[in-house]
Amino acid sequence: MKKDDCTCTQNSSPFWSGGFSRRRFLQIAGTSLMASYFPDVLNAGLLESATTAAPLLQNSAKNCLLIFLAGGISQVDTFDLKEGSWTPPALAPATAGSVRWPQGLFPKIGQHLDQLALIRSGLAWAAVHPLAQKWAQIARNPSGATGGIAPHIGSVVALEAQLHRRSTDVLPGFVALNGTVAGAGYFPASNGPFAVQAAQSGLAALTHPDGASRLTKRWNLLNALDDARKSGELGSDSADMADYYDEGKALIDSPDVNALFTFSSEERTRYGASVIGDSLIVARNLLAADKGTRFVQVTDTNWDHHSNIYGTTGISLLTKGKAFDDALGALLSDMSTRNGSTPGKTLLDETLVVVLGEFGRTVGPITPNGGRDHYLRMSVMLAGGGVRGRRVIGRTNADGSAVAEFGWSANRDVRPEDITATMYSALGIDYTTVRHDDPLNRGFEYVPFAKDGTYSPVKELF
Amino acid sequence: MRALVALLALLTSFVAAAQDCTYDPARVAGPRQVMRRLSQTAEAVAPSSSHRRTSTAPAPPKYPIRNFIDTEVFGLMERDGIAWTSISSDEEFLRRVTVDLTGQIPDAATVRAFLADTSADKREHAIDRLLHSEEYVDRWTLWLGDLVQNVQSASNTILFEEGRDPYYFWMRDSIRANKPYDQMVREMLATDGGSFHDGPANYVVRQWQNNGPIQDTYDNLSAHSGEKFLGVTINCLSCHNGLGHLEQVNPSLVKRTRQEFWRNAAFFAQITLKNANSDDDYEWKVGTNPAGSYQLNTTSGNKTVRAPTQQQSSPVLPAFLLTGETPKDGENRRVAYARMLTAHPQFARATVNYLWKEIFGMGLVEPADNFDLTAQDTQPTHPALLAHLAEWFAASGYDIRALLRLMVNSSAYQLSSRYTPGAWQESYTRYYARHYPRRMLSESVLDAVARATNVPISIRVPLIEEPFTRAMALPDTREPFVPQRTPNPYKTILDTFGRGDRDTNARTREGSIAQALEMLNDPVITTRVKTRIDTLLASTHDPGAIADELYLATLSRKPKDAERAAAIAYLQDGDLKANAEDLQFVLINRLEFLFN
Repeated sequence: MKKDDCTCTQNSSPFWSGGFSRRRFLQIAGTSLMASYFPDVLNAGLLESATTAAPLLQNSAKNCLLIFLAGGISQVDTFDLKEGSWTPPALAPATAGSVRWPQGLFPKIGQHLDQLALIRSGLAWAAVHPLAQKWAQIARNPSGATGGIAPHIGSVVALEAQLHRRSTDVLPGFVALNGTVAGAGYFPASNGPFAVQAAQSGLAALTHPDGASRLTKRWNLLNALDDARKSGELGSDSADMADYYDEGKALIDSPDVNALFTFSSEERTRYGASVIGDSLIVARNLLAADKGTRFVQVTDTNWDHHSNIYGTTGISLLTKGKAFDDALGALLSDMSTRNGSTPGKTLLDETLVVVLGEFGRTVGPITPNGGRDHYLRMSVMLAGGGVRGRRVIGRTNADGSAVAEFGWSANRDVRPEDITATMYSALGIDYTTVRHDDPLNRGFEYVPFAKDGTYSPVKELF
Repeated sequence: MRALVALLALLTSFVAAAQDCTYDPARVAGPRQVMRRLSQTAEAVAPSSSHRRTSTAPAPPKYPIRNFIDTEVFGLMERDGIAWTSISSDEEFLRRVTVDLTGQIPDAATVRAFLADTSADKREHAIDRLLHSEEYVDRWTLWLGDLVQNVQSASNTILFEEGRDPYYFWMRDSIRANKPYDQMVREMLATDGGSFHDGPANYVVRQWQNNGPIQDTYDNLSAHSGEKFLGVTINCLSCHNGLGHLEQVNPSLVKRTRQEFWRNAAFFAQITLKNANSDDDYEWKVGTNPAGSYQLNTTSGNKTVRAPTQQQSSPVLPAFLLTGETPKDGENRRVAYARMLTAHPQFARATVNYLWKEIFGMGLVEPADNFDLTAQDTQPTHPALLAHLAEWFAASGYDIRALLRLMVNSSAYQLSSRYTPGAWQESYTRYYARHYPRRMLSESVLDAVARATNVPISIRVPLIEEPFTRAMALPDTREPFVPQRTPNPYKTILDTFGRGDRDTNARTREGSIAQALEMLNDPVITTRVKTRIDTLLASTHDPGAIADELYLATLSRKPKDAERAAAIAYLQDGDLKANAEDLQFVLINRLEFLFN
């Protein structure tokens, strides 16, 4: 058997923490998953005809930054703090207005509570990593009717943003740092996530290994020799590729663009000198540049704390939390002081920041393994893009095991679909849109069942 | 003088051969409908009168009718007045057929030998050589692996490498041995065993639904087998009837009901699927419980409520969706389903259509997963051809190698990808008036870079001893499967060229800016360029020889005279090594490297 020779991390999904055995995966997969996909009130009749609920579009943001805490951040130690004998002193809970905040874990983020909103009545659909991550990123059941063709939320945003693209918009509409679990789906590939690994020296994809002048020489020779680029004799797909080459070359040649991906050691240190820190620097730069990027996803892994959750070394909530706090704290500071593209607005005003994982973690005392396991109840943290600070949507009971108040007009759990509708509404995208250009010829909903009001934006955030 | 006589004799014999062309419009079978049902992706075809050749346009060249594919394809173009292009050159043909059958480009020595070969049947011999190569096994294992989504883990299930690998090796062995495809499908549908030992048992494991009742798994099996083995997307019926939903999706499913879907799924309701769930034993055991049944008693999971109605009591008894046939007395349900499915003509039709699509770029029915069973005279672009191919395939014993051989030997396949009769219209695409150029698959791109530069790749896959030297041979589309930010030099290029994840992200040949950046800036390419030139310059400094070798190895052809002159001029202008590297780099970035 290979379980003990680190093939867990090698062979597991990149979003599982080290030490998590396959057995645990199945155990978790086999239990706690009887979440009802369709609430009791729904019957098949509703599938047949939908009355259109007038969509509520906030139109308060230009951009969206999704920070995806892969593995599932523990909500009862962070955004929905529940204190007990298990709470390590390092969390240092403190009262801040109406919330208890883990001031020891998130001191820097805690300085921005005036700008932060929390949803505590969130509920994931599945406690399985790949399924729940995909669900959150495509806003529907991956095993459902359109699961196989659905684009990432960011691709929808990129496609919609095409309508407003200016000649100065040279960057891809959707950029993803550290991976996504969905791509462009059936949308044109140009709306897919443009993959970036943040590095101080810049974006490898934009750097010719043999030097810029060498590339220029080669580029000139290529265009001199390659008749097919002028004649189109190899068909329309090849003509598209020729266009992509030209667009790519423009990115390579633009000093402005390259500058967006580089940063100084000083800056790096300020953001905590970590993967998440580097990634948020680049995310900030891309959005601040206002060159066409409208949706950025930054994935941060290793939040799957089945064990060592309160450890002071290794992968733990405390070590991950410190890095996250340094990074997000710096980001919120920067974004709230930088000018946006509209006079009088900051970059944070124009950017909806959404922080979540694919599900939550078990409540109460920690497990015999020293951690918390998968749990459907979860929290979401939001800022910017019109979101009102110090707003808490929903309330759970004393230990967090059940919801006490949903906290919004829909009076039910907040689902990934609702979060997506919220993002689209903030960006001025009609979340009830049904496209009729899908390969199934069935119709593709931006948010399934949004047309009949089954899912909707959490307007109480605004 | 003697040489001239010999040459004349040779030319005369060629002319004579051309006059042997046996094209005869009367041999085109069957009447045609003038109006055709439009496929999703092809543009509208104007009424045929606007495509009639004028009397001043030259007649398109005649080609040997090699088999009934040519009869039908050229026949339809004749009928509709579509001019077809010239036949491919030897260079164009060899590269294309090598890529299409094996996923690899031919190496320079093979190209040279083929060009020098004067035998009349050299194309047929090249085809047979390719069909019996190990690289052929790579390519069609990849095809089947995509079709059944063999992957280590997915959003709904997990095979583990220990399951994925035997499944992969079973596919390779079956394809190498040319096992009848119907037998392969029956094995996938009906094998009981341990997933780490009995490869095809992983078909069932792949469809396990990890977040719902077991009926969701039975539904997945019914839906997947319907889609991929019968070419009909029946998944919609797993939640609701066709009426009121599928009118725009598939007219042949409008009158079908959810109950019928359940009856189809009931064939899978005696499966047992167990996992001991321990660190020492996590193999899936696929078995049969003769007392199992499809109960209508679910209120959660991934489908709408399952409950008995007046029309359908619980449990649901099995009946094959396409025929209503039920299992024989005492017959194992999955064996029964496998028997019925593979015997049904739609199995052959769907399969030949999938394979046709791989070779010709678009299916005779598009989308290939969505046959309208009530419109088989009009939905296919060539209805008689599809019918004939399906019958032929079934009669051959579902012989994949033979079918591929038939297709690539046709003149229709061997038409050039350049269109010379006039201005190309996209509406000609569905006539196969040219071989429509398309981008190589992701794995082929990486393998082509390695082969052109003669610097192999090496990818280690855990649990498999030998490292992989061809990306086309990788056991799934997520290898190398590395944790976040662990560098693997091959992962970026493979993922960027769209090989998909065999889960919810389908493989695509679509382009992107990221792909262009890969071709320009990936060190996987630039380091190989350097190594390649170092080696080449050790054997020659002659610019002409360098140009020839680079063209042959990279683009599978000799440089045209103007290209050769330009290359020589470039090579001689300054540092030979740097210039040769530039030339090699540029040839890899020419559009015809990726598109053929």
